Amino acid sequence: MTSNATAPDGAAVRLTGLRKSFGDVHAVAGVDLHITPGEVVALLGPNGAGKSTTVDMLLGLTRPDAGDVKVFGRTPRQAIADGHVGAMLQDAALLEDTTVGESVALIAALHRKPMPVADALTAAGIADLADRRCSRLSGGQKQRARFAMALVCDPDLLVLDEPTVAMDVETRREFWRGMQRTGRTVLFATHYLDEAEQFADRVVLMREGRVIADGSVADIRSHVTGRRLTAVVDGADAAVLSALPGVTEVAVRGSHVTLACADSDAALRALLAAEPSARDIEINAMSLEDAFLALTTEGAAR
Amino acid sequence: MNPRYLALECRRIIRSGRFMIFSLVMPAVLFVLLSGLYGGKDARYEDGASVTAALMVSMSAFGAMSAALSTGARVAVERGGGWQRQLRLTPMSASTYLYTKVIVAMLVSIPSILLVSLVGAVFQGVSLSAGGWVVATAGLWLGALPFAALGLLIGLTIPADSLPAIMGVSSMLLALLGGMWIPAQVAPGWLSAIMKATPSYWFTQLGQSALYDNKHLVTAIMVLAAWTVVAGLISARRFAGSAARA
Repeated sequence: MTSNATAPDGAAVRLTGLRKSFGDVHAVAGVDLHITPGEVVALLGPNGAGKSTTVDMLLGLTRPDAGDVKVFGRTPRQAIADGHVGAMLQDAALLEDTTVGESVALIAALHRKPMPVADALTAAGIADLADRRCSRLSGGQKQRARFAMALVCDPDLLVLDEPTVAMDVETRREFWRGMQRTGRTVLFATHYLDEAEQFADRVVLMREGRVIADGSVADIRSHVTGRRLTAVVDGADAAVLSALPGVTEVAVRGSHVTLACADSDAALRALLAAEPSARDIEINAMSLEDAFLALTTEGAAR
Repeated sequence: MNPRYLALECRRIIRSGRFMIFSLVMPAVLFVLLSGLYGGKDARYEDGASVTAALMVSMSAFGAMSAALSTGARVAVERGGGWQRQLRLTPMSASTYLYTKVIVAMLVSIPSILLVSLVGAVFQGVSLSAGGWVVATAGLWLGALPFAALGLLIGLTIPADSLPAIMGVSSMLLALLGGMWIPAQVAPGWLSAIMKATPSYWFTQLGQSALYDNKHLVTAIMVLAAWTVVAGLISARRFAGSAARA
């Protein structure tokens, strides 16, 4: 990082009371978010939760109906003009008639203190594709080219909207390895829970335009307590299983049984006594996905 | 204004097949063919102008016009494909984006004029006064400005997928009605009234001033300036409108 962006309050990003409606749809209905420099934050939520609209307002691409956006203490436009923000948009296309190197060079030429184009391509893992026409890239390669364009201004804050869409598992892992090496403040929107779990310091969960949970992965996970027990039980009877001590929820598919347990030890002992045929037993902690589902459906029921 | 960005943008245009064919190869080849057919060494129009010289100026104008027009129109592709959104994440302002397109359009129309003029001077034996050469090169170049603005307007209005068809038809019509391919003198009265409404007719008139003392020169300059201002203003309005919606 060459620039030293500082805000009076030390925040990389500060969103206050952000709102945006499209007609009757409240895409963003009051979002407050404070990101300190160096944090890697995942913005998580189902489709239509308001993630992309929030990102667009953060970048000054959409004007909020109400609320305030500050990036390193400036307006988004000023922060971008000063070269503090690099962003990878979901729908931003590449120029079909240029090579990857030329596309990145065009963006670099517009910034005041860009990094060398070759460095950006290397960091994005596409140094070998510099001379490839953008029209001849695979989906994953296109995403990496977009990442190189986000990176070439050498930003303090990287904003990534669904960055690993169209990447296969191996490419995705590599992408994140590259990302972590850059050591910048990162805000990324995703719907891959494992990505948030593995790569974010902090998870912000959105639903229906609001932040419904904000904390470390462990914090979010603690919203769902207990463990999950799976087993194979011949002639499993849901009524019998839900009467077992410590069991809160039962799902039966043929002889495959999943029990959500408040007390998995008690449930296991009772299960083995009541159903001697029970076998292939596994007990796991609830995952971030369980927390995600619990939090998003809980909200929907309200 | 950023020279490196300009250079990269010009390179994109110049190496495209469309530019090569319509702005470089076709004007030069047509010039050689037509002057072979009608030119002869001493062929002259009734007004005394050399046919070969007139063809040279017309083909220079045609090349410059299609270069300027199609460069501006390519905005449609960048608009549809989301590249403009990417550019909004750079320090470049929206108005600089538009100005840059006009400058690029003007820069890439230079090779068209130079190539045809060179062919005329070296291979076709066209001789003009010093002032005539200035009008046939620098004068034509400046006269291409309304077509850069017009191209921009097309690019901001037409969706990208219908662009090739629209561009093909509009540059053909402008060339025909402008008297670039067939001299305006042979047109019947009703047609010449339509021709005089096009910017390309006056662009050709501007070029013809290189050959003789054209009494319509001032009118030509005024009409071309008016087209530039009108197309430029409408483009700016459209662009501001689309930026506000986003």
